[in-house]
Amino acid sequence: MPDTLLWYTTRGAGAVTLILLSSVVVLGILSALRVQTARWPRFLTTGLHRNLALMTLVFLALHIVTAVVDPFTHLGWAAALIPFSSYYRTLWLGLGVISFELLLAIAVTSLLRGYLGHNTWRAIHWLTYAAWPVGVIHGLGSGTDTWSAWMLAITAACVAAIGVAIILRLTIGSTDPLASARATFRTAVDRREVR
Amino acid sequence: MTRLLDAPERFGPLPQMGGGFIDAIEQSRLVGRGGAGFPVATKWRAVAKRSGGRAVVVVNGAEGEPRSQKDRLVMTWRPHLVLDGAFIAARVLHARRVILYIGERHEKARSAMLRALGERTEPEGALVTVAAAPARYVAGAESAAIHFLNDGVATPTTAPPLPFEQGVDRAPTLVQNVETLAQIGLLARLGQAPATTLVTLAGAVMRTGVLEADRGTTVADAVRGAGGPTESSRAVLVGGYFGSWVEPEVAWQLPLDHETLRRHGLGLGCGVIGLLPAGACPVCETAGIMRYLAAESSAQCGPCFFGLRALADACSRISDGSSDGNDLSRLRRWVDEVPGRGACRHPDGAALFLSSALRVFDREFANHRAHDMRRTA
Repeated sequence: MPDTLLWYTTRGAGAVTLILLSSVVVLGILSALRVQTARWPRFLTTGLHRNLALMTLVFLALHIVTAVVDPFTHLGWAAALIPFSSYYRTLWLGLGVISFELLLAIAVTSLLRGYLGHNTWRAIHWLTYAAWPVGVIHGLGSGTDTWSAWMLAITAACVAAIGVAIILRLTIGSTDPLASARATFRTAVDRREVR
Repeated sequence: MTRLLDAPERFGPLPQMGGGFIDAIEQSRLVGRGGAGFPVATKWRAVAKRSGGRAVVVVNGAEGEPRSQKDRLVMTWRPHLVLDGAFIAARVLHARRVILYIGERHEKARSAMLRALGERTEPEGALVTVAAAPARYVAGAESAAIHFLNDGVATPTTAPPLPFEQGVDRAPTLVQNVETLAQIGLLARLGQAPATTLVTLAGAVMRTGVLEADRGTTVADAVRGAGGPTESSRAVLVGGYFGSWVEPEVAWQLPLDHETLRRHGLGLGCGVIGLLPAGACPVCETAGIMRYLAAESSAQCGPCFFGLRALADACSRISDGSSDGNDLSRLRRWVDEVPGRGACRHPDGAALFLSSALRVFDREFANHRAHDMRRTA
């Protein structure tokens, strides 16, 4: 029974991770778009983005740990940390490892943002656009439940949500409420007089 | 001991300086006079370690604080001491460039500095260029000075990278206030920095202007030295617009040095001591300064631009009598939400100032009745 419990946990945590991660990415894109309404102030978007991201890592850890410690899988820790080192579904699991490590880098650099500087943090944060699709492909390729109706529905919903968010981001662009004030201030201090 | 403003206008050629000079600075416990009060030796060591002959020295004479005059005064009357400090910095830090960053409106100061520069024969003179700092409050901030010298835009930037890591021309950079450099100049010449601080007395004193305070001098001594107050005081602003209002009876006993003030939870900042006369309205005065600080936000960070504007608007509504009665509780709530949320310390300084006003002028804010603002101006 414990064996099947671990296996079910792995699969469940994987599905939950996909839902959480997709929500985090959508919230991230919405925060870049500065979406807000009277009842939804902007700090809610960023606060939720941050907290859900930390929760995603918890479920991701659960997904990985239960898969490795499950005696039936014989995966071993190396398979969880070194891409494409697993005997089992080498390609698909390898993609999962890559996605996990990218997300870890994104999370760690976010926690250390004050020490890294904005540009470094931002460059690494952009890796989300790689981590998310790689993670989705990992799920499609290695998932035991991939073709069951409920999992298909979850995956489709996540892909659709991200797709809509990206289209919004590309079409609307960012409406910066500070833009005109900043431009005004800059005309007052924007000069170059070194001799 | 020789004081800064009593020192000869010009000494002979500069003595030779080695890396050991930073130890001498450390022993003198000199702290920066631009406002932050940061230990000078620590800053120099950080740049020296990374310099490799590339370092840049920025002589900060932007003096954007509206009530401060001491930087202008030092540049105008003791320009050679400032250059001494700058040249020594260039020598000790193996700098490749020295930039005089002088406020665009401080014309007398700039021409005095340029004249003094023309009289110098040291090789460091050839490293010097001059830049005019835009007359805005934030333009004197370290990162804004560096941003201006690199890209021509005098707005603060996020840290890291810190100036000693990557500043002007992406090289390790020392940004140092002109008074601090003059102190360094005297330290090199005499082997001892004068334990003095330049303060600007403003508001209701008989003679407003700059005073050189010896260590141990209290606010009361300084005010007495300026001919005393013009009338009884309601409060004293210690440290300029990023400083704090203090009850007069507390303020009189405060010594004018960074270390002791810090232990009182205060700061000398750029050295402005302002006396608010009992006849003036503290609420209107505070509202005016908050409007100024809000307008000086460089509009880069939302919490600073919108936060300071909201604070200033609420202050103004209380001062002109158009408040709905909730503004004071809003101010008390909001003032704690602004600090630490900008790329630079502008919102923090403004919030610190307002917190002190809400504390010291508690009664006046609660009972303020609209009155003709011209009467109190």
